[in-house]
Amino acid sequence: MTNRLKMQPRKHEGTKRLVGLVFAVAFVSLGSVARADGQDLSVMPIARDGQVVVSFELSEGLTEDVRDAIQSGLPTTFSYELELRRSTATWFDRTIAAVTMTATVRFDNLTRRYQMSRTLDGRVEDARPTEDQDAVRRWMTRFEHVPLSTTSALEADGEYYVRVRAHTQPRNTWFFWPWGRDWVLGRAKFTFIP
Amino acid sequence: MPATVTSITPRRTSGQGRPPQSASRRPFRDNPRLILAGIGALVAVLVAILAVANRTPRLSPDFLTEFVLYALSAADLTMLVALVFVLARNIVKLVVEGRRTRPFARFRAKLVALLLGMTLVPAVLVLAVGSELIRTSVERWFNAPMDEILTSANQIAGDYYHERQMLVSDHAKRIARALASVNLGNPDVRPLRDLLAPDVTLQRVQMVEVYRVGRASGSLPGLEPVVDVAAPALPPGYSRAAADRLAAQALAGSSDTRSIETLGSSGDLLHAAAVIRSKDGRATGVVVATDYLTGDLALRSRRMTQAFEDYNQLRVLKRPLAGVYLSFFLMVTLLILVGATWMGLYLAKRITRPVQMLAAAAREIGAGHLDQRVEPQSNDEFGSLVEAFNTMAGELATSRRNVERSTIELERKHIETEIRRRYTETILERITTGVVSVDAAGAITTINSAAARLLSLDRAIVGQPARAVFDRADLQPLGALLAGAGRAKTEPAAQDIAIPRQQQELHLAVVATALVGDSGAPEGVVLVLDDVTPLIRAQKVAAWREVARRLAHEIKNPLTPIQLCAERLRRHFAGGPPAAKDLVDECAATIVGEVESLKDLVDEFSQFARMPAPRTVPTDLGQLVAETLALYNGIFTDVGIEQRTAADVPLVRLDAEQIRRVVINLVDNAIEAMERRGQIIVETQLDAPGGVVRVIVADNGPGIPPAEREKLFLPYYSTKRRGSGLGLAIVRRIIAEHGGSIEVGDNMPRGTRFTIELPC
Repeated sequence: MTNRLKMQPRKHEGTKRLVGLVFAVAFVSLGSVARADGQDLSVMPIARDGQVVVSFELSEGLTEDVRDAIQSGLPTTFSYELELRRSTATWFDRTIAAVTMTATVRFDNLTRRYQMSRTLDGRVEDARPTEDQDAVRRWMTRFEHVPLSTTSALEADGEYYVRVRAHTQPRNTWFFWPWGRDWVLGRAKFTFIP
Repeated sequence: MPATVTSITPRRTSGQGRPPQSASRRPFRDNPRLILAGIGALVAVLVAILAVANRTPRLSPDFLTEFVLYALSAADLTMLVALVFVLARNIVKLVVEGRRTRPFARFRAKLVALLLGMTLVPAVLVLAVGSELIRTSVERWFNAPMDEILTSANQIAGDYYHERQMLVSDHAKRIARALASVNLGNPDVRPLRDLLAPDVTLQRVQMVEVYRVGRASGSLPGLEPVVDVAAPALPPGYSRAAADRLAAQALAGSSDTRSIETLGSSGDLLHAAAVIRSKDGRATGVVVATDYLTGDLALRSRRMTQAFEDYNQLRVLKRPLAGVYLSFFLMVTLLILVGATWMGLYLAKRITRPVQMLAAAAREIGAGHLDQRVEPQSNDEFGSLVEAFNTMAGELATSRRNVERSTIELERKHIETEIRRRYTETILERITTGVVSVDAAGAITTINSAAARLLSLDRAIVGQPARAVFDRADLQPLGALLAGAGRAKTEPAAQDIAIPRQQQELHLAVVATALVGDSGAPEGVVLVLDDVTPLIRAQKVAAWREVARRLAHEIKNPLTPIQLCAERLRRHFAGGPPAAKDLVDECAATIVGEVESLKDLVDEFSQFARMPAPRTVPTDLGQLVAETLALYNGIFTDVGIEQRTAADVPLVRLDAEQIRRVVINLVDNAIEAMERRGQIIVETQLDAPGGVVRVIVADNGPGIPPAEREKLFLPYYSTKRRGSGLGLAIVRRIIAEHGGSIEVGDNMPRGTRFTIELPC
């Protein structure tokens, strides 16, 4: 499978004003997305209040297969692995911080209600029921300001990138390929300016 | 040296550096227990696979997709990699062994290919057909009638729940509107209870709970319970928690104002909340209406929904599910293929390895390593073959050691024989006795240096027929003797033979002895030659000395009376007639003169017979010769005498008087031979390698005919008109008693040359 990177336009000036940064951050590129089977994963890292937070959205995440799985009552989970990394020219890129975010939904066909929950590194962050499918879609695919790391781990004027890998459980494949064939990748680079 | 037995043991790889495995740690393929354990483990895996496959429908989707499918996929990949690795490794090995022309490589390749082919074709066919069958079967699980039935059932259950929820919600809203004008803060709740009781009594709802906005109560922020009215039919496990949460949620403005509380087998409670608002729109409280669905109803609804969900989950997961079955199938196929490959290799190795080991051991034994053994790997026919081979190798090694011992003994004896032969050859070469051996075929096999010298033969005649060699004129007597000895076969034939050699006679005492083997067969003749010429000469000299002694004794005694008688006759006839007196005087003078001559002759004989033994002292030979030649100075005016003395001649032990006499005798003979006119050279030389000094007396006289040269040294032989003929006999005797020799030869360009050799 081939993942293609798509660059997004620069938005760092407005972002700085919007979030009232304690640290000044200059983004070389705000975000980039990787596309897999029509799905896009847009990533936007922001450093604010001494923390690197990431907002990301998986568009077209609820495919027909996923919707069928949810409607069948299967507990369906979207797992997102977020990694703050720094490129290394001569070796593997260095991972500075990593978190795993999951969003799970289970549909009760009797009550016709969705029970949703989110965990961060295995810790339940939120849980709520709903009857709205749009709310389910947003719950599963849109995340705002997920804390990834503190800025103390970053070097001034250093170039970093945030990589987000998403996959769905249960997997609807004939054969399990151990190297993540169904992963959706998103990536965004930024330069940290204190 | 003790023998070291080297065993050939099976090798796992062609690498030579790996230490040999001990008998206690046999490789897997040679250990029946491990093989049985492996087969048992394989069967257990297959049984486990079947068991898991049977339980597949009951497995949770997560477990099915995340664990079973993952495990099966990983196992399939691992086995596929293992199969490819095993096949590739063995193909490479077979190719390499084929290129190296390793024995049985082609046979192994054929066996493995045959077994693999026999397994691969049906396995792949079964896999293809089975996969299609599984895929088709999975598709057929989900059909339209079943889908419609389950969807409808779920729809009915869901709609029922939904309608009951909506109904409860409507009641809650209606009650909330009815309570809009009620003062919820009134401590007397009876009016309120009376207001709510008809709804419960008429079973519109099973329970109504009213909250008013006020102080926080427990987990209810800003709400406090006012009153609740419940029907007695409610199950005992009921609690207020769900209603409290829903009331708070409704007051907070949430659109989600309904909830379902499951009481297990007792049934479900359907809650609905509505905010009580005053006329001015202010929220004064919350009412939560609850309906109760009995256990049977809830259970049946749940079952319908569960059946629908199970069906849909299977439909959603039909690909992973089919993947699980296909993975099972693929795993079994791969297990069969791996097993077939391994079995093929195992059988091939099992068959070829003992033969390879035997072939390798045979090559080692062929190369001379007779202590090579093959370690038995089994007790079957190959084991018997190996045992027989080892027995054969052991017997060969024993025989080889016996042969080596015999060889060593033979070599020792050969060395002894060679030493003895060399010793004999040395003796034969050193002795003065000539030895010639002739084999049964008449070819000369041996001739020592003495024989070659005596017979004037080249030693290269070895191998030539004796008849041809001894056909030479001077050697014909030897040929006849050889032929006679060959015919006689028993008694040695002895004969004295004179062979002309350089105008002289060489006297040989020859003994021809026939060689007869232990079986009596003739093995040739050996001819032994002794040079007896000096002995004969000595015998002659001794004889002549005896003659001279007797002659002197017999002759000298009557000479004096004869001389006295003659003197007496002359004195008697001194006064007689002149004629008679003259006659008598003349006769007496003649008698006296001849008697004197006879006396001189007798004196010489006596001297020859009674010559004393030499008294040798170290003497300067050159000076002795010079002093002797000085006696001739001025005597013979027409004779020139020249002395040539080598400077390196050492002192020689000799009797100076006797040697002086020798020189004088030879010089006198030379002067006489030259008739006192000519040139004489007396020369002294040193022959250091020969250990002798030579005195050469050469003249340029007429020379001596070769036929007379041997006679020169005999007593009473003289070519002079006068003399006794004892001079050269005395010279030879003096030289002989000094341990030397004297030879006569021609002088170049003319004359005679006497050569004396004296040891120094």
